[in-house]
Amino acid sequence: MIRKVLYATLATMALSVGVARAEDTIVWWDFLSGGDGVRMKAMLDEFNKEHAGKVKIDATTFEWGVPFYSKVQTSTAVGQGPDVMTYHESRMPLGISTGAVSVITPEELAASDIKPSDFGPANWKAAQGTDGKQYGVPLDIHSVILYYNKDLLKKAGLLGEDGKPKGLDGAANFDAALAKLTTKDVAGLSVPDDNASGWRVFYTLFNQQGGEFLKDGKFLDGGNLDKATTALAEMNKWVKNGWTPAKTEYPASIALFTAGKAAMHINGVWEVPTMVDLAKKGQLFDWGAIQIPVFYDHPATWADSHSFAIPDRKGNPVDAAKRKEVLDAVHWFNQHSLEWAGGGHVPAFLPVQESAEFKALKPNSDYVSLAKTAVFDPVSTLAGVASPVYEAAGNFVVPAMSGEMSPADAAKQMRDDLQNQAK
Amino acid sequence: MAATGVQLSRGLELIVKSRRNEIAVAYILMAPFIIVYAVIFIWPTIQMVELSFTDAPLIGEGAWVGLKNFWRLQSDRLFSTAIWNTFYFVLLSVIPSTLLGLVVALAVNRLKGWVQSVVLAAFFLPYILPVSVVFRIWSWMFDKDFGVAQHAITPFTDGQHVSVFRTLPLFMPAVAFVTIWWLLGFNVLLFIAGLRNISSEIYEAADLDGAGRWTQFRRITWPLIWPVTALVLTIQLILQLKIFDQVYLFAANVRTDATMVMVQYILKQGFQMNKGGLAAAASLVLFLVIVVLSVLQFQLLRARGER
Repeated sequence: MIRKVLYATLATMALSVGVARAEDTIVWWDFLSGGDGVRMKAMLDEFNKEHAGKVKIDATTFEWGVPFYSKVQTSTAVGQGPDVMTYHESRMPLGISTGAVSVITPEELAASDIKPSDFGPANWKAAQGTDGKQYGVPLDIHSVILYYNKDLLKKAGLLGEDGKPKGLDGAANFDAALAKLTTKDVAGLSVPDDNASGWRVFYTLFNQQGGEFLKDGKFLDGGNLDKATTALAEMNKWVKNGWTPAKTEYPASIALFTAGKAAMHINGVWEVPTMVDLAKKGQLFDWGAIQIPVFYDHPATWADSHSFAIPDRKGNPVDAAKRKEVLDAVHWFNQHSLEWAGGGHVPAFLPVQESAEFKALKPNSDYVSLAKTAVFDPVSTLAGVASPVYEAAGNFVVPAMSGEMSPADAAKQMRDDLQNQAK
Repeated sequence: MAATGVQLSRGLELIVKSRRNEIAVAYILMAPFIIVYAVIFIWPTIQMVELSFTDAPLIGEGAWVGLKNFWRLQSDRLFSTAIWNTFYFVLLSVIPSTLLGLVVALAVNRLKGWVQSVVLAAFFLPYILPVSVVFRIWSWMFDKDFGVAQHAITPFTDGQHVSVFRTLPLFMPAVAFVTIWWLLGFNVLLFIAGLRNISSEIYEAADLDGAGRWTQFRRITWPLIWPVTALVLTIQLILQLKIFDQVYLFAANVRTDATMVMVQYILKQGFQMNKGGLAAAASLVLFLVIVVLSVLQFQLLRARGER
């Protein structure tokens, strides 16, 4: 009897191994929810359909931010976890330092036809460690953009012939435009009052002055402190003068814009689908989106990038054959990233970014210029998505903007706080 | 005579034997619990204490650093903020939610039949909601631009809308208010059970003696419900010292340093800063605070009750 059971078990095992051989499964983890999640799910379905019988991606979505990255770190440490995962490029330094991501060799990249020259240099480099090795392959560039209400801008004489805003470049001009746009019922600009949004706007204005947030292990060193103060003072000016409502929560700040109660809105490209969907239903005015205007010396916009990484599962590494399959899949997703661009993102893969199809995609192609001057987060284990730098933005940038702290104090305290955490 | 002696000792032997058996059986029956308790609670706790004396990251080994982590906690401004905020929250929530629970229970207890059931259910309903739902409900109610609660606020502020959870002095009181709303039903339930245990004969006797409502409450209800009050206070104290979810959600992504509470500090150090040793030290401090305070409080309340 026991023998029979044993044979049966063995037979089943052999059978299941046989089945697994026929169709390999790639275990995939991501943090993409909302519109991004739906879009990625459609792409995954398409991938699985196209590769039926050969490779199947088994995807699971976890909560964005600290929960996702904690889960990755704890599971890879005990040899568990996926074969491939989405990873913010800004989070790479921390991922590398905690040993959560594995090196992808040039040979492996070449074998899957992934060429570094197919990506923007800054974008490609952001997935590298300080050791110069590659830990990820970018999928997109996502950034903040300026959404605008064409009707309201036209009324204020700020809309050009081409349907794009005019006269917004230069801090003084931008402020003057806000003053013009603000009426009793309409604010000039709405900005979400959370740490991530605060960081993105601050980092954009800071880099437009050529600031270096982290230099040789020092935060806001020397003249950079003044540049940070200037950026914070500008943000505070919007609130102080009543051009931007103070302390507006993320969803409410979008609602203010879509309800026509704010003429302009600064937010991530990922809100483009929100506007597109509303416009499709006929519930939105004529709108557009452009790269954040140049306030100071030169154009620059904060950016981050969703990339793909292979975890470094301790004692149970992803084997070579599986890695090849994973990188092939990654390449497939980049080749199909036009669909991903529907989520507002700029495709990282240059052949798609420069294609005629993408150029026809509105409003993405109106702000694609930001990719050329994108600035990524400082390379530090303290920086990146859901990092101490983001938290510091919540503790200092956000209250500086709302006027709870003076810009100079906030800049100083932010510097000291981060420097203290770097110890 | 001799025979009876033998019988007697036999009987004794049997009793002792069966006693022994009983004890053995008791141990066998308790074993699964004791083993599970030891493996998933006692052992990790010992390890956590050990961890608090090392500089270990979240995962992996660390070197022995003695009391350095505790020294660091002591000098960390953020940790002091976390302790202060936690105590402040306890102050705002524990006694008010207990007293309010008693008041509501007294009122509900006077209702009869299905009306009582409906009212009781209404008070209990928020308790079964997950914290995420509670957060959503109240963050929208209080929303600065579109929240319905603004209508109740603007008469006091010259028509200015107030961002309740983004105004530091209002933050903790508001979170305490939401917490009391959320958890009140449980306290009410405990108090109602306590009130029903008080025999109606005592009240009838008091009535005959001409005692008024207030005297009845002061002389009968309050002393007799005291054990339940002590229990509710202790449960609330332990629960609120561990405050995390609401504060984390309502302060999410804004001024987290200013609203930091102790459990949140542990999460930050352990999971965000990758400092397992420091997080363990902070956990140990919180553990000791809870043990000391709850034992102290319970003893104090019991002493008062026995007076």
